[in-house]
Amino acid sequence: MVSKRPRRSLLPVVAVVAGAAALAALPAFIDPYSLRIATGVLMWAGLACAWNIVGGYAGYISFGHSAFFGIGAYVTGILMQREVGLAFAATLPLGVLVAVAIAAAIGGPTLRLRGAYFAIATWAFAEMLMQLATVLDVTGGTGGLSLPAYLNEFFFFYVMLGVAAVVYVGAWFLLERTRFGYRLKALRDHEPAAEALGIHTTRVKVQAFALSAGITSLFGSIYAYWVTFIDPRSVMGPEITDQMVVMVLLGGLGTVWGPALGATVLWLTNRYIWSSFGDTVVYLPILGLLIALIVLFLPNGLISLLPGGRRGGGVLGRLWRKL
Amino acid sequence: MAGGISRRKFLTGSACGLGALTLGAPAIHVRAQEPTIRCGVVTSLSGENRFGGNLTRRGYDLWAEEINKLGGVEINGDRYRVEMFYGDAQSRPASGADAAERLIIRDEVSVLFGPYTSGVTLAVQPICAKYGVPMISGSAESPNVWLEQPRFNFGMIPAVDHSAGRSIAVIAEATGAASVGVVGVDEPFSKETAEGFRNGVNEAGLELTRFELFPANADLSPIVSNLKADNPDLVAVGGHEEVLINFINTARSLDFRPKAILMHYGVTAAAFADQLGGDANGVLGISVWTPNLPYRDDLFGTASDYDALSHSRWGSHPDYTEAACSASGLVLQDAAARLGKPPAWDRQARLELVEALEATDIETFYGPVAFEREGDHYHNNIQPVPVVIQITEGRVVPVAPKDAAQTELVYPLPPFS
Amino acid sequence: MDLLLQALLNGILIGGILICLTIGFQLTFGVLHVIDFAVGGWVMLGGYAAYWASQLLGLDPFISIFLVFALFVAVGCAVGPLIYHVRTSRYARPDLMALAFTFGLFIMMRGGALWLWSFDSRSVDSWLSGHSLSLGPVTVPLLRLSAFAMALLLAVGLFVLLYRSRFGLAVRAVAQNRDHAGLMGVDVKRISAYVYGLYTGITASAGVLLATIYSVNPEVGVRYTLFAFFVAVLAGLGSVGGVLVAGLLLGLVESLVGTYVGTRYSLLVVFATLYLVLLVSPKGILQRGI
Repeated sequence: MVSKRPRRSLLPVVAVVAGAAALAALPAFIDPYSLRIATGVLMWAGLACAWNIVGGYAGYISFGHSAFFGIGAYVTGILMQREVGLAFAATLPLGVLVAVAIAAAIGGPTLRLRGAYFAIATWAFAEMLMQLATVLDVTGGTGGLSLPAYLNEFFFFYVMLGVAAVVYVGAWFLLERTRFGYRLKALRDHEPAAEALGIHTTRVKVQAFALSAGITSLFGSIYAYWVTFIDPRSVMGPEITDQMVVMVLLGGLGTVWGPALGATVLWLTNRYIWSSFGDTVVYLPILGLLIALIVLFLPNGLISLLPGGRRGGGVLGRLWRKL
Repeated sequence: MAGGISRRKFLTGSACGLGALTLGAPAIHVRAQEPTIRCGVVTSLSGENRFGGNLTRRGYDLWAEEINKLGGVEINGDRYRVEMFYGDAQSRPASGADAAERLIIRDEVSVLFGPYTSGVTLAVQPICAKYGVPMISGSAESPNVWLEQPRFNFGMIPAVDHSAGRSIAVIAEATGAASVGVVGVDEPFSKETAEGFRNGVNEAGLELTRFELFPANADLSPIVSNLKADNPDLVAVGGHEEVLINFINTARSLDFRPKAILMHYGVTAAAFADQLGGDANGVLGISVWTPNLPYRDDLFGTASDYDALSHSRWGSHPDYTEAACSASGLVLQDAAARLGKPPAWDRQARLELVEALEATDIETFYGPVAFEREGDHYHNNIQPVPVVIQITEGRVVPVAPKDAAQTELVYPLPPFS
Repeated sequence: MDLLLQALLNGILIGGILICLTIGFQLTFGVLHVIDFAVGGWVMLGGYAAYWASQLLGLDPFISIFLVFALFVAVGCAVGPLIYHVRTSRYARPDLMALAFTFGLFIMMRGGALWLWSFDSRSVDSWLSGHSLSLGPVTVPLLRLSAFAMALLLAVGLFVLLYRSRFGLAVRAVAQNRDHAGLMGVDVKRISAYVYGLYTGITASAGVLLATIYSVNPEVGVRYTLFAFFVAVLAGLGSVGGVLVAGLLLGLVESLVGTYVGTRYSLLVVFATLYLVLLVSPKGILQRGI
C-alpha cells in the first residue's frame, strides 16, 4: 500500500487546504441560516471522520461515541457555568483530556470484544453514562444546562471549519501515511495475523479508540457552546452515534474522504427534507427509505461513484470511460 | 453484472426522485402582493414531546384561521392577513434552534410562536435575541425558562412552581387529606411539578410519605406497589398524559385506590378521559383555564364559545395549552395594533413590538394577560389563577377553590368500577 | 415481605413478556446473523394492529393477537429476502450494512406511524383490563398474568417448532453452518425468509401484549429495541434458550431496583449490568452465545 506516486502524495493536503480556503469565503455569500447548516455539515463531517478511525480503519463498530460527544459537551457546559466561569477555549483541552482518559481506561477491556458484542458493549456504556448524567446534580439532571450565549455565527463556522480541516488532514496523514495506519488496517483485515507480525494489537486499538474519542469530545464542546443548551438526551442520546454510523456508511467505510462526503450529503438532505416538509413529519419515512435504498444499491458508499474511488473508478469512472 | 445494473437503476431512480422532490416540495414561495404578518411556529411535531407540541400548533392555527376569516389583524384601520410557517423542533434543542433561524431568515417571519418544552425554548431564546424577534410561548411552563430574564420571550401560562404547590393546600383544605405521596417523571417540567407538589406539602404541614422521580418509560408497577404499601390519603403525580394513563392503568391492575389522585399535566387534555373511560373519573388536576370560566373577548367570544369552536375544528375539547396558544395570537394582535406600524416589521419595529408586548394588559377568553416586568417570573403571565378540577363523567369540572367550584369535590374516591 | 413478594411477581410477569419480545430477535441473529434495529418497530406496528383490530373489528387483543401474528409472518416473509440479500452480499461489511438497512427500516416505520396515525398514545382495551386476583398478600393483575401466559405460549410454540419439526431441523442446521446446510439441500434463502417472518410475527405479538398492558404510540419502539438488545446479549447472542433466563432476570432487576432503590436508577443499573456482563462473560451469562 506504500504510495508509488510520491508526486500525488501531498495532493489531499493541498485539496483540503484549498477546500478550506474556499469554504472560508463562504460566509460572504450565504445567509445566516445556510451558514448554520454549513456549520452543522462541518461538525458532522468531523464526527464521522472520528468514528471512521475506529469503525472503518480498526474495524470495530462502536455504538457508544455519543458518550464522548456528551463528555465534551458536559465538560464545557459545566466549566462555563457562572460559578466556575472558565473561558470556552480553556474548556476544550480539558474535555479532550477527560474523553481520552475514559476511552483509554475502558478501551482495554472493551476492545477485547468482537463484532456485535463490541457494538452492544459500547452502546451499553453510552446509555449508562447518559443515565448517570440524568441522576447527577452537577449536570443539571434532565433539566439540562444553559451556557452563556455567544451570538456570533461566524465564530462557530470558522471554529468548526478549522477543527474539521485539521482533523481531516491529520487523519489522512496518520491513517494513510504512517506505520500507525498500516498497523490499524492490518489488524482490521486479520487480527491474529497482525499479531503474528509483531503488532501490539491491543495498544494500537486503544490508541485509535482514544484518538477517536478525543476528536468526538472536541466537537461536543463546540456544539454545547454553539447551541447554548444541553441535556442528556440531546448530547448523549443514541441518535448521535446512529447519525455518525450512517454518514460513514453512506460515504464509504474505511476511506478518508468518504465520511466527509456522507456527512455533507446526509445532513444537507436531512435538513432539506425537514425544511421542505416543515409542517408534516413525512420527511422521516423518506429519510428511512433513502437509507434503505442506499444500502441496497450503493453498498460501497457514495465515494464509489467518484472517479478514483475505492473500486478503481466507480460508476462515474466507468461512464466516463464509455464516453 | 448485476451490481452495475442496480447501480445504474439507483442513479436513474435517485435522479427522478430528486427531480420530483424539488418540484413537489413547497419550495416555491409565491410572495403575496399585499404585506402579511408572517409568523413562525417552532414546536415539536415529532419526537417524545410530539403530543404537547401538536396541541400548541392546534392552538396557534386556530387563532390564525379565525383572524384571517375577519380579513386579518387590524392595524391603523387596515387589515393584514396572518401567514403561518412551521418548523419541527423534533423534541431536540438543536433542531429547535435550526428551525428558529430558518423561519427568521428564510421565511422572514417577524414573530415566533414558541415551543412546547423548556429545553427547546432555552435553545431558541438566543436566536430570538440575535435577530431581535419576539417570541410568544403559549406553553412553556418550566420556571427555569424565565430565570435568565429573556428579553424577547413571553410566556402565557404561569410557571408550574407557581401553580402546583398552591393546589396541594387547596385540596388539603377541601378534603382534610393528611398524608401525601408525591411521584413524578424525571424530565424538566414534570420534575418541577413534583417539586412544586412537595413544597406545597411541606408548607401546608402535611405528611410526605414518599417523594420519587422515575424515567418516562419506566414500568410503573414498582412505584405503585410502594405507594400502595405507604397508603397515603392523596397521591400527586407529575407527568405527561401517557405516563398518567399508564399510572391509572397500573394502579387499577394492582388494585390500589387512594382517597384522592392529583395529576399534572395532561388530565385536562381530551385524550386522558377518552383513553381511560370510566377509570378517569374522580382524578383531580390543575388547570389555569377551563371552558366554564367567565372570560370573553371579541374574536373568540366566551371561553365556552372557544371550547365549541375548537371542538368543531379538531374533534376534541381543548385544554389550557391550546387555549393559551390561541390567546398568544390575541396578545400579538393587540400589541400589533398598539405598535401601529404595518408589516413587515424591521428590527427597529420588532424592538418596539417587544415593548408593546411588555405593556400588554388585556382580557381574553383565556383570562387576563399581563407579563411580569421583573423577578423570577420575568415575562411570564402569572395572572391566571389555577383551579383544581376533577374529571366527572369524562368532563373537566372545577371543584376548588370554593369561588370557582361548580360541584362538590368527590372524596374519598369510590373503588374502581 | 409483602412488598418483596409483590416486587418479585411484578418482575416475573414483565420478564415473561420480555422473553417473547426477544426470542424471535435471537433466532434471527442465530440464522441470519443480523442485529435488527427494527425490533422495536415491529413491536410498535403490532400494537397498532391490535388497536385497529379492536377499533374497527371490535376484537379483543387476546383474539386479534392470532391475526396479528399471521399478518406479520406474511410481512416478515416479504421483507426477509431483502435482509438476506444485504447480509449475504459481497459488501465490505455485510453485517454492518444489514444493521444500517434495518436502521433505515426502523426510521421508516416510526416516521410512517407518526405521519399516518398522528402523535397520540392509543390504549388497547381487553375485557381483562383492570381485573386482579388477590393471592394472600400479593395482587396479581389478570391482564399481565394472561399476557405472561400468552407470551410463554408463543415461546413454547417456537421451541416445539424448532426441535420437533423438519422445518426446525433445517433452521437449526442453517444456524449451525449456512454453507453446510446449503450443501445438504436446505434452501437457505427460503429458510431465512421464513425465520424472519416468524420473528416479526412473534415480535408483533409481543407488541400486542405490550400495547394492551401499557399503550402504543409511534415513539415506543426505541425502548423495546433497547430491551431486546439487553436480553439478547445477556442470554448470549443467538442463544434462544438463554433468553428464558435473561428475560426473567431483566424483569426482576428492573422491578427490585425500582422498588427498593428507586426507579430513577433502574436503567442505570440495567446498563451497568449489561456492560459488566459483556466484559466479564462476553458470551452471555450462560456462556451459550455464538
